[in-house]
Amino acid sequence: MGMALFLLLTLVAGLWRVLRGPTAADRMLAAQLFGTTAVACVLLLAQAFDQPPLRDVALVFALLAALTAVAFVRRAWAAREGGDADD
Amino acid sequence: MTEYLTMFLLLAGAVFFLAGTVGLLRFPDVYTRLHALTKADNVGLGLVVAGLALQAESWAVVGKLLLIWLLVLLASASVAHLVAAAARQRGIKLWKR
Amino acid sequence: MHSDDRRQRLEFLPRDSVMIHLRTGWFRAALFALLWWILTDGAADSWLVGVPVVLFATLASLALLPPFSWSLIGIARFVPFFFWRSLYGGADVARRALHPRLPISPDMYEHRWRLPPGLPRVFMANIVSLLPGTLSAELDEECLRIHVLYETSTFAEDLSVVEKQVAGVFGLALV
Repeated sequence: MGMALFLLLTLVAGLWRVLRGPTAADRMLAAQLFGTTAVACVLLLAQAFDQPPLRDVALVFALLAALTAVAFVRRAWAAREGGDADD
Repeated sequence: MTEYLTMFLLLAGAVFFLAGTVGLLRFPDVYTRLHALTKADNVGLGLVVAGLALQAESWAVVGKLLLIWLLVLLASASVAHLVAAAARQRGIKLWKR
Repeated sequence: MHSDDRRQRLEFLPRDSVMIHLRTGWFRAALFALLWWILTDGAADSWLVGVPVVLFATLASLALLPPFSWSLIGIARFVPFFFWRSLYGGADVARRALHPRLPISPDMYEHRWRLPPGLPRVFMANIVSLLPGTLSAELDEECLRIHVLYETSTFAEDLSVVEKQVAGVFGLALV
């Protein structure tokens, strides 16, 4: 339990990077951090509360984190390049 | 006995997660941050998974934990490469000392 | 079309050898069955759906990724190598991140391929990102461009060791 909370704290600290940027890629990195840390968090909770189905949630998180990041590199980042130049 | 080992592995994992976040905040550019994130967090998750696997009630659960870790490993390694390659294509300069 | 192209470049096993497809098929079916068993937590009644799924997955995988050569000994050597090196990689970057003076001096490094194109190169590019101080940043026909976190004189050596290990996994000899 305590562990899961601690990981949540490192996650919140990671939010700072999302706010700061400076590039869109840095923000994406923070999202990736969320992927790994959230997976660890959910696995810990599955154990702490004896809820095995949560492990499947972690599995889906892992898959989603990968898909999000690939989609970002493929679409979002490339598309924004033409339009605004904020980074 | 295994409880203590699990405790140790989980705590060690937490240290790596902390270091990953610290690296993400302290490192100077997107490439160096990628280093911190991919390597530290994967070891962190590996340790957490190992710690939990010791408490697992069946082999299927051990397999699932391992599967999750491998999946994250594969995902973050490929994503790190894609982000780095895209950053280079956009001409994002690397920070030098 | 796509697979033909890859088959030529990666020296996939002869295309019309039914035996090899059969053997690979059995092997992959066993892997998918294991995966199904893990995903369903070993629930016995799930096999009603599981058997067709495994069968379909096997056929799809044979169509999409033709059999390629690999070596059990190579894998047995690779796993502990990768395990310890990636653990060291994590510890190393963690130490540098937490160190008050942030001891890093990033640079780019080019590694000329000795591996054949295709799967082995992609595999190596992914592995490199998890090993100490290296991050694969670009890959093209001739080389793998790597972002290094700090300069040491051993990257060239380290990388050729990695490349040898990867070659071993795929049962290849380096040129």
